Amino acid sequence: MQAEAAQITATERISLGSQGRRLAGPALAVGLAGLAAGFGLGWLRDDGLKHFFHSYLLNYCFFLSLSLGGMFFVLIQHVTRAGWSVSVRRLAEILAANIFWLTVLVLPLVVPVLLGNSALYRWNDPAAVAGSELLQVKTPYLNPAFFGVRALVYFLVWWCLGRYYLGRSVQQDVSGDPELTIRMERRSPAALILFAVTVTFAAFDWLMSLEPEWFSTIYGVYFFSGAVVGGLATLILAAIGLQAAGYLRDSITTEHYHDLGKLLFAFVVFWGYIAFSQYMLIWYANIPEETTWYLARQSGPWVWLSLVLLFSHLLIPFFGLLSREAKRRKAILGFWAAWLLAAHWLDLYYLVMPSLCGGRLPLGAIDACLLVGVGGIYAAGVFRVASACALVPQRDPRLAESLAFENI
Amino acid sequence: MSETSPTPSEPAAEEPLAGLVAQFTSPEALKKAAARVRDEGYTRWDAHSPFPVHGIERAMGVRRTILPWLVLGAGISGGMAAILLQWWTNAFDYPHIISGKPLFSLPANIPVTFELIVLLSGLTAFLGNLVLNKLPEFSHATFRSERFRRVTTDGFFISLDATDPKFDEAAARALLESAGAAAVDACRVAAPARLPAVVGWALLVLGVLATLPPVLTLWYRSIPKRSPRIHLIQDMDFQPKYKTQAASPLFADRRAMRPPVEGTVAVGRLREDEYFHFGRTQDGWARSLPMEPTDELIERGRQRFDIYCAVCHGYDGAGGGIVSKRAIERMEPDWATPVSFHSNAVRQQADGQLFHTITGGAGKMPGYAALIEPADRWSIVLYIRALQLSRNAAAGDVPDEIRRRLP
Amino acid sequence: MSSTLAENVDNTTDDPRRRAALVIGRRDYASITDRVCGVAEMPRTPPAWYVLFAFSSLLTAALFASVGYLFVTGVGVWGNNSPVFWGWPIVNFVFWVGIGHAGTLISAILFLFRQRWRTSINRFAEAMTVFAVMCAGLFPAIHIGRVWLVYWLAPYPNQMAVWPNFRSPLLWDVFAVSTYGTVSVLFWYHGMIPDLATLRDRAGGKLRRFFYGLFALGWRGSARQWHRYEVTYLLLAALATPLVLSVHSVVSFDFAVSQLPGWHTTIFPPYFVAGAIFSGFAMVVTLMVPARAVLGLKELVTVRHLDNINKVLLATSWMVAYAYSVEWFMAWYGGSPYERFAFLNRALGPYAWAYAIMVTCNVLVPQLFWFKRCRTTPWIMFVVAVLVNVGMWFERFVIIVGSLSRDFLPSSWGYFRPTPIDVLMLVGSFGMFFTFFLLFLRFLPVVAMAEVKTVVAHDAQNHDS
Repeated sequence: MQAEAAQITATERISLGSQGRRLAGPALAVGLAGLAAGFGLGWLRDDGLKHFFHSYLLNYCFFLSLSLGGMFFVLIQHVTRAGWSVSVRRLAEILAANIFWLTVLVLPLVVPVLLGNSALYRWNDPAAVAGSELLQVKTPYLNPAFFGVRALVYFLVWWCLGRYYLGRSVQQDVSGDPELTIRMERRSPAALILFAVTVTFAAFDWLMSLEPEWFSTIYGVYFFSGAVVGGLATLILAAIGLQAAGYLRDSITTEHYHDLGKLLFAFVVFWGYIAFSQYMLIWYANIPEETTWYLARQSGPWVWLSLVLLFSHLLIPFFGLLSREAKRRKAILGFWAAWLLAAHWLDLYYLVMPSLCGGRLPLGAIDACLLVGVGGIYAAGVFRVASACALVPQRDPRLAESLAFENI
Repeated sequence: MSETSPTPSEPAAEEPLAGLVAQFTSPEALKKAAARVRDEGYTRWDAHSPFPVHGIERAMGVRRTILPWLVLGAGISGGMAAILLQWWTNAFDYPHIISGKPLFSLPANIPVTFELIVLLSGLTAFLGNLVLNKLPEFSHATFRSERFRRVTTDGFFISLDATDPKFDEAAARALLESAGAAAVDACRVAAPARLPAVVGWALLVLGVLATLPPVLTLWYRSIPKRSPRIHLIQDMDFQPKYKTQAASPLFADRRAMRPPVEGTVAVGRLREDEYFHFGRTQDGWARSLPMEPTDELIERGRQRFDIYCAVCHGYDGAGGGIVSKRAIERMEPDWATPVSFHSNAVRQQADGQLFHTITGGAGKMPGYAALIEPADRWSIVLYIRALQLSRNAAAGDVPDEIRRRLP
Repeated sequence: MSSTLAENVDNTTDDPRRRAALVIGRRDYASITDRVCGVAEMPRTPPAWYVLFAFSSLLTAALFASVGYLFVTGVGVWGNNSPVFWGWPIVNFVFWVGIGHAGTLISAILFLFRQRWRTSINRFAEAMTVFAVMCAGLFPAIHIGRVWLVYWLAPYPNQMAVWPNFRSPLLWDVFAVSTYGTVSVLFWYHGMIPDLATLRDRAGGKLRRFFYGLFALGWRGSARQWHRYEVTYLLLAALATPLVLSVHSVVSFDFAVSQLPGWHTTIFPPYFVAGAIFSGFAMVVTLMVPARAVLGLKELVTVRHLDNINKVLLATSWMVAYAYSVEWFMAWYGGSPYERFAFLNRALGPYAWAYAIMVTCNVLVPQLFWFKRCRTTPWIMFVVAVLVNVGMWFERFVIIVGSLSRDFLPSSWGYFRPTPIDVLMLVGSFGMFFTFFLLFLRFLPVVAMAEVKTVVAHDAQNHDS
């Protein structure tokens, strides 16, 4: 079994190498162009860059959530000592380790806040705070200095986690030392705790505080559930894409797609469960200070977006991914992964945009430009990281088990 | 016949061969042998093991079951039934507004819908499994083999049914032995015994008896009965408290309902001002209103009169209101026509007496104290005076500018 | 491979190159069968069983007596009074439903995650679920006041033309717990069919053979039947997983849909589910540690199994701690003086003692499980598990009684005190639980033999250990 594993990794293409580095450049260029175009369009709107910041936040959180979803995948595979996922784990590690560019990309969000800009966060506007007793009460938490310190902490933690897990795994490619696996497993429970706390408070800070009077204890879990859906979808699409380009033809099998499909299905349902819980409880108690958030998302044209989100993120993919065959055929699974990635973006749109302006659905070229902009730079980062290592953990002790398992 | 009685390995000579049972030593051996049997073209045969052997379905050529589709169908039906149930009961048949929520509250209906989906799916999965597997099947030819008892512990077997078109005892034995069987047993079973007739009759009788309770229940619920119902919970149905109009031995007047103590005044009912509340002074009826007559007061009086009084007394106060007209039309035997305000008798009544009539009624007219506040009653009195003046005015009472416009 | 001290073999190895053996000692199918069936086939019931059964039956009798007293006298026999209208009965209900969830998790969720170590404990845990749900279902039924009208909860056509209120979480509970009870029993029984057939084929006496045979439905290990059986198992597991999440979520809705500070918070559904799994696993440990020693099952329920269970305990303890922390943060962040007071009151008010027990038992004590020594020592894990269950009972107490006793209007505040009937019913419910459980241990297959054999076959195929 081990010999078989070694043979597979010896014969197939498992490293992006120079091809990856060559892709990083154009991706970066496209990204910068998109950012510039988005900034230009935002400047032209003459609204104090409000739309620009909102659109940027939306697209940034989208790509951040893909890395966080990947990070969760890596950590959970280690904490459960899973064997099936070894073939695809490196892809998730690469996503999770893309923290450098994500740190750079967050600066247009954090630095303006530190400088007093309140286009995005009303609580940063002294006039608004002075006029609202509720905002004054929250000032010990919602102030630029603490906001900045917290952001620093989040990225420090994510940097450490992403780099550690990719680093040890890559180290094992060379040494094949099983002790590395044991160490990664031992650290994963604490890593998950740090992950949970940082992701929760990041969601509170960057997304929930867009509407600073509102609050929901399940918000962190909601963001997390969407991030895992996005991360898994990206993982699936990456695997399909790489196999189409001739890489990893033997190490990722139908069984892996089946399991990733099962996980994707499960988290789609989990997202639906969390979203429904939050909605139903706020709807039922009908307390005005909580219902404002949903009223904004149900008034006027937003009601259509809410319905589209419900159908596209839950109801339709539920039936699409239900059957065994759907999860075992790359074409079908890939379709639903792409669909869910779009739905996940729509979910973040639903979270961010209502605070821009109520009543209308602000969708324009600026959102597309910034999607390309942030995405291009993010992709460049991914290519950079991926080209520096193999695409599969060649000497992971459980690689043989991963190649051999079969579903019922 | 059933597995409860141990059967000997040597069959009785007369019993026909029902099939062969071959034992194998391991799951791998079983799989290989199964593939051989499948390739030979047998269709009525089976492999047996104490646990599901991975890959045996492929070796046997077993098709995937349709059970998941049945469960999907059941789940969808369960969901639709749940939505229909909740809509019909709470939004259609007996609409009930609860804390301002819409009659058909989909967010609130999701939990029950979800549970019914799962319940119906689960029941279908379990029962579908039994039905498709044809369980319970307490009697089977393979139980005739003593060796076969090991199947639930650690035995691996293949059974060939004699009714298979390709079955031939010698060829089958040879096949099994060449496939690696450790032992081959013949299963001989007499023609299947039929259930004794008494079982059928017993079930029929039981079935009929089972229909009795619901039929009796429906019968008893549809006929009227003279006797009162049975009271199971005595102290809820016969509570130790007094009800309205009941008798009580505790008081001299034997009433359970006690009048208020002499001199009790309800909050807001202390009617100290006799003039205002009763229209009376020490010298008899009040001769004028207790408040200043104003245009607003007359207007108020007109409004109140039109609401409360005009139905009987007519809008002009002459007594021809629609209630009266209708009563006369219907020839109500004890109808008394409302008095006209323009009669001398009424015109000579004092303001207070008019007020008293409105308050307490007179003859056929009920008292309106409960319906009309005292101040409004005075305003009605004022308006009645205005009505009276309208039929008995002198030319000098008409204001100048109106008189000039008259023909 | 086999040794007289086989049961002391440590299979908690972390070596990633090989999967640890999940069955130690003699691993042939016949020995496994002998070991498990030996429990039910004991020719003479040990006296200890009779003693325990007598004791638990006594407690069950006390439960039924107090329930009868309740029916005859009324709800006033409890401590429930203004403002704490929901007291111990509802705390007990949530407590027992929560315990039941571990069984479904072990059966269904661990099955979907292909965790093969579940096969030694799932039968045990499923039985625990069924009995826990029975105990749970008792309390909402009896606490409605006019118990003889409990059938009004069902939507049947009636002469009053009245239907139940489907917009109420209390009615969702009726559907959720009934569905959960039904599916749990079906899942438990479905899993037992092959093992009952084993007992049937080994049975000596006619009576045993008849009853085991009746419930084994004539199972003969046919591969065609195994195929459908396995698909059914997968379907039931796939259905039971969202079901178990939904049931405790619906139970949490009882509180979260209200407007009461401390009750109305959106994180309740996943928080309650995590807490349920936490308390359920603790009960599994509480039952399993003595049972495996007394019934001779140490080679099937190995130290590794206990190690894994305790890791799940630690994980769910952190999920519960996360929920506590987020609730505290949001109580401050939300700015509502009522919510802030509710939380300060929990920690510093008249029920501070209950809050301290809750946090100590749920958050602090399980941290011992970071240490492998604690995870693999039976007496330590037994103590921790009992304390966790105490802590989880107090968590429901703090939430329910704590929030009700001091809500918006200070003039309505009141301190709740339980009555002897409250206590007797809680203790009695444990009696009922253990009575059923002892019967299960005595007569039914306590370990899923067919599933364990599948694991052993799989290991043999992969040449592990």
